[in-house]
Amino acid sequence: MILVGELSLWVALLMAAWTTTVSFSGGVQGRADLVKSGERALYATFAFTVLASIGIWTALFTHDFSIKFVASYTSANLPKIYTFTAFWAGQAGSLLFWALIMTLYSALAVFTNRSKNRHMMPWVTGTLGVICLFFLMTICFGANPYERLDWIPPDGRGMNPQLQNPGMAIHPPMLYLGLVATSVPFAFAIGALISRRLDAEWLGAVRRWALLSWFFLTIGIILGMWWAYVELGWAGYWAWDAVENSSFLPWLTGTAFLHSIMIQEKRGMLRKWNVTLVVVTFLLSILGTFITRSGIIESVHAFAQSSVGNWFLGFLIVATVLTAYLVSTRLDDLQSKAELESMISREAAFLYNNLALVGICFATLWGTLFPILSEAVKGEKITVGPPFFNAVNGPLGLLLLALTGIGPLIAWRRASVSNLRRQFTFPVLSGVVVFAVLVTLGMRNFYALMSYLLAGFVMGTIAQEFYKGIGARRRMYSEGLFAASMRLIGRNRRRYGGYIVHFGVVVLFCAFAGLMFKKDLAATVKTGETIKATDSYGHEWAFTSQGVSQFEQLNRKVLAVSFAVTRDGKKMGLLSSEKRQHVDSNDQPTFEPSTEVGILESPAQDVYLVFTGAVDAETAAVHINFNPLVWWVWFGGIMMAFGGIIVMWPQAQKERESGYVAELPSESDVLVGAGA
Amino acid sequence: MRHSIEGAVREGNATDATLRGDRRAFFAALLRGAVTAVAAAAASSVWATRLQAQAGSSQSAASNVEMTSDSYKPVRRDPKPGATPQMTEKQLEAFERELACPCPCTLDVYTCRTTDFNCGISPAVHKDIKALVDGGYTGDEIMAAMTSTYGDFILMTPRKQGFNLLAWFAPFAAVAIGAVAIGALLRSWRVNAATGSATRAAAAAADAKAAESAPFPPSTGLSATPDELARLQAALRNDGQ
Repeated sequence: MILVGELSLWVALLMAAWTTTVSFSGGVQGRADLVKSGERALYATFAFTVLASIGIWTALFTHDFSIKFVASYTSANLPKIYTFTAFWAGQAGSLLFWALIMTLYSALAVFTNRSKNRHMMPWVTGTLGVICLFFLMTICFGANPYERLDWIPPDGRGMNPQLQNPGMAIHPPMLYLGLVATSVPFAFAIGALISRRLDAEWLGAVRRWALLSWFFLTIGIILGMWWAYVELGWAGYWAWDAVENSSFLPWLTGTAFLHSIMIQEKRGMLRKWNVTLVVVTFLLSILGTFITRSGIIESVHAFAQSSVGNWFLGFLIVATVLTAYLVSTRLDDLQSKAELESMISREAAFLYNNLALVGICFATLWGTLFPILSEAVKGEKITVGPPFFNAVNGPLGLLLLALTGIGPLIAWRRASVSNLRRQFTFPVLSGVVVFAVLVTLGMRNFYALMSYLLAGFVMGTIAQEFYKGIGARRRMYSEGLFAASMRLIGRNRRRYGGYIVHFGVVVLFCAFAGLMFKKDLAATVKTGETIKATDSYGHEWAFTSQGVSQFEQLNRKVLAVSFAVTRDGKKMGLLSSEKRQHVDSNDQPTFEPSTEVGILESPAQDVYLVFTGAVDAETAAVHINFNPLVWWVWFGGIMMAFGGIIVMWPQAQKERESGYVAELPSESDVLVGAGA
Repeated sequence: MRHSIEGAVREGNATDATLRGDRRAFFAALLRGAVTAVAAAAASSVWATRLQAQAGSSQSAASNVEMTSDSYKPVRRDPKPGATPQMTEKQLEAFERELACPCPCTLDVYTCRTTDFNCGISPAVHKDIKALVDGGYTGDEIMAAMTSTYGDFILMTPRKQGFNLLAWFAPFAAVAIGAVAIGALLRSWRVNAATGSATRAAAAAADAKAAESAPFPPSTGLSATPDELARLQAALRNDGQ
């Protein structure tokens, strides 16, 4: 099977090359037979990539250490689940995994369009073929997972213990599913550009893919945050690290696209901008891959430095130049007749939403690449750390949050003053109430207060939207509260699913602001000694050391410290943190020791314990963090994903074929409001 | 439960002593696992002090180990005469949060040293800073000493001067330009709307006519059934009266 897999990889490469060649030539000559052949070859590319992947999995599970990849990332005693996930633990395997998803998506995109969008499909298929070809080439010639060692080691090096975590098992696939999904809208954009069919048609084909990409990226990023929080032990979930940023960038432009697409669907405007966003999102996902895999920027998450980066850089440059050329020759076709009655309209709000999202994207990219720029210009190595990103993106984030609340309140085309007053009263009031309550409670942090003020405002907007929608249904159809809510969401999935996503975003902002009140302390204690601390809520905590213990577990040796924890004298249970030294099957230590933090989780705050190290058999050095509201990051993430599912959920054919469903409700806003 | 574990600890740069059967040995094994080429260098400085008692090592901190350019570099100054610390413990923490740990962790010195078991660099940097504080140096003086040794690389954020101003202001400048561009765009759309008002009025009239005969043609993208729409239309008409 391993040999079959290895050969399949090369066959897949040939198939991708065939797809590209015949699809483009079929498109140029208008020959349906060539186009058909290209599509079939793309299916074949997928099939052979599956075989190649099965081959690697076979090698992993049979512990064939003659294969360099297997020997580098697994050992005979690695738990089964991580042997499975080892597929994407290293450079070569993860590229193959990427190719697997890429070919799967390509096959799906071609299959679902087998009787639609035929005039642009040759180009779409060809573009997808090029991307598949690029990845397969990178794998075959740059980082081949089937590369053999010239000797057979008795055991492999094993997996980095920090990757032996459930979050890490599913975080990369989610991220890849999201990043790779940006290729399909890109391919359609290229198809639309080449075939000069730049009306809303191609947007219909890509909206679902853009959503899918957004959905998986969201889950992937949140899971990555969760992994960093529970595994890396620095008591935070986001460090503006180059690799984190590189997954965040396409998410930002993708989110911008999902908003601006509505303007084109509804008003036929912003054609150039939408094409640009789709293209930029794809290029950013490639750029991110380049940053992650080239080792050009220091990062804890990065893959080892390798030549694969050059492949990505080359691809990035070629793709950018070709796409820029293509767009520049199609500017006339992208011309749209835009009209707007008023500067105060939802269109304008969406434009500023796009500005905030793209602004954050630019600032993040700028900060990530600035050290390279500085070194090139001044020859000086500098650091651009989290304080920079927080300072620059903080105001932009608040602007975005404000727009999240403002957008839905303003009517399309033009908003009247009386309409504005009616729409804004409740949300503004709710923001002000939140603000007043917090100030009364003694909160003085400017950023936190602004965040909560705006969060209250956006929550007010969302609540008002649901209240009005449900109220209207209940009056019109005499439905019960529950039925009305369900049908309201079910019949307007894009609109109300979107609000649920917004709700998740607001929760996230509240959670981020909570970290302004983080407290921490470092201490060294003997068994029986107690550490006392006060958290931001004013609770008195006491941590009594139960001593340092050691034991063996699965493929590791563990050194643990435990504390009996009380809050205001009330018992909160035991909190333990571990140092783990992973060992191979010969009991030899592998990798550096890793930390397993102890977290006492609650919606109010996490008590986060890090075992910094044992001073001697009795004495432990620890770092204790009180992290307010972290729980809500995960909750907000789940709400975003949940809203995303609602938005994506297929509706009945008749409904799905139609355009933007918010058209009626957005107009009824005014009228329902007038009636209320 | 106690385990008997064989482990070896590397002392200085020569002897491998095999310890047997207690936590120390286990701990030593942990430590040995921890040390890669760079980390080992600095680890000695941290762990040496903590381990000296138990491992019987006489190794002095960080003095006999080779350093690479990206790793720990000693920053030492003679204490000022009659020195008293110019910083409190809290201020020292805040100070260390402004310094990037020279190890590849991408964290600040304080976070790294209170978190990362394996990094020996941040504790070593901390020791230097502590010595300078005890030597009576102010925050600015210590910062100057740090940057003269490590360069601006040690700062968590670029200095707000010279070329680095670009780092700070480019994002805001870009957003400002974007905002102005959007303003201009919106204005041009309004002009379009004004000039095209006649045609649009005609179109609107046609639309209204079409709407009269078929209130919501299926192609406008509605998720409600025609029946629902008709009822909504009726309800709205009543509302308007």
